[in-house]
Amino acid sequence: MKDIGLITSVSIRNNLRSNIIVAVLIAVVLICAISLVLAFCLLAIAPAMKTEIPDRHTLEMFLSVTIYGACLIGLGINMNVFAQTMMREKSRGNITALLATPLKASHIWTGKSLAVFLPGLVLGEVLGLISLLAVNYIYFVPRIGFLINPWMAISSFVAVPIIYLGLSLLVHIIGLAGKPATANVIVQVFLPVFAALMINLGIRHVLDAASWLFTVANLALSVIIVVIAILLRPRLTRERIVLSC
Amino acid sequence: MNAAISLEDVRKTLGNREVLKGISFTVAIGDIFGYLGPNGAGKTTTIRILLGLLQANSGNLAIMGQDINRSAIRMRIGFALDPDGLYDNMTAEENLGFYARIYRVSDVGQRIAELLKAVDLSDRAQDKVGTYSKGMRQRLALARAMVHEPEVLVLDEPTAGVDPSGQIEVRQIMLNLAHQKNKTVLLSSHNLDEVQRICNRIALIDRGEIKLYGETDSLRRGMSSGTVVIETASEVPQTILDELKSLPKLGLRENQEKRLIFSPQEGMEVSDIISWLTERRVKIEGAARKEATLEEMYSAMLKEVEQI
Repeated sequence: MKDIGLITSVSIRNNLRSNIIVAVLIAVVLICAISLVLAFCLLAIAPAMKTEIPDRHTLEMFLSVTIYGACLIGLGINMNVFAQTMMREKSRGNITALLATPLKASHIWTGKSLAVFLPGLVLGEVLGLISLLAVNYIYFVPRIGFLINPWMAISSFVAVPIIYLGLSLLVHIIGLAGKPATANVIVQVFLPVFAALMINLGIRHVLDAASWLFTVANLALSVIIVVIAILLRPRLTRERIVLSC
Repeated sequence: MNAAISLEDVRKTLGNREVLKGISFTVAIGDIFGYLGPNGAGKTTTIRILLGLLQANSGNLAIMGQDINRSAIRMRIGFALDPDGLYDNMTAEENLGFYARIYRVSDVGQRIAELLKAVDLSDRAQDKVGTYSKGMRQRLALARAMVHEPEVLVLDEPTAGVDPSGQIEVRQIMLNLAHQKNKTVLLSSHNLDEVQRICNRIALIDRGEIKLYGETDSLRRGMSSGTVVIETASEVPQTILDELKSLPKLGLRENQEKRLIFSPQEGMEVSDIISWLTERRVKIEGAARKEATLEEMYSAMLKEVEQI
């Protein structure tokens, strides 16, 4: 655990040292999150609030999708930006150098995965929380009170981070034991495809975004990703990593 | 001989290609061992096997008498690889600090200060490594290799891409390590002059086989026993040179203005060459048997391999 903590903390510090990358990350995340929240507020929540007696469940569903989207953006864009550090570290010999030390390959894998995941977790949770509070205090509190249900909270604040933790483990094992470019493609494709799919399912009532079913679907996906990453774990040998560098 | 590193009949196949075809050599404690060979010869594969990064298909390997597959042995090995694997966004102090913590070094701060002083980087300790020259990076990589005071150092091309003054500095650090701190150094290099200057033992590898192995000086002496250098007062006329070339027993190898270099066949003495030349009125100013340079040994080995 000590080794994993050391790799994680050093990798986070190293990743966040580039001021330009951090500035770009924050700017892109803010622009995307604000755009998404504004779009839902103006196109869905505001019209729904104009009715004499707003439908509480519809509002919960819209709020759920808004928070869910904000969390996804924080975690997803962060991963898109930092997952590429694996490619750089492999080409510059950082990974090979670490493997020549007494560190275990699995510790390097876990540490590097956490280093990419944790800043995104903070970003995603903060954006989700801000969206929840902003929408509630601007639209709901004055008329119907604070709106939240446990399923929307679990979907956004628990399931989405677990999905991205699994994804981080998966792309890092692919990047370490195989081609980092393949891992990058998975990361780049995952956010738009997954976000579009889940948000569409949510707002089209296929999977009610404020229901337990939506939460279960997300948790199931997170379990599948984590299981795939664990199944690939035997491929993580020093030889395979070094030969793929 | 107390062996720091020993390899016995080590074989490694990557894909369909047999990269190491049963290599064996031993590096004694305190040796600076030069490991030479052209690109693709198998040097890096050997180093990777020694560092536990690749698994040999067969053969026996030991470092300080211990099986290299035991992870505890990594605590006794330091390394500098190419590329160096230093973190550009971190300072020299942070880079060393990271590795010091990996190796569980006690009193990290003091150890880092000592190392930075040893490699003359104390004044740049707080600068990001990305701003360093190649020579400074290599010195820092050597400091990192030493952070846990290992007994064996495995250095892959430590002076590659470094300017001449940087090479001298890196070389001096390696010599200090080996002589003052009695470390064993395995140095893989393309720089034959460097190897000749600092290594007491060498192995030449080509196409996965050790072609030459032993003490640098005795190998040079052994190889040079047939090389004769004749200094002449003036340039030798072309007709005589043509005649010389037609006599393989004298073995004219090179003609450098007023110097003729011969590799005579067995049974031919220096006096035979001198007599032959004086008969043709060539004025001779000096004659000597010459010690082969490592470069000559290396070229000879490669020529042999090509002929095979």
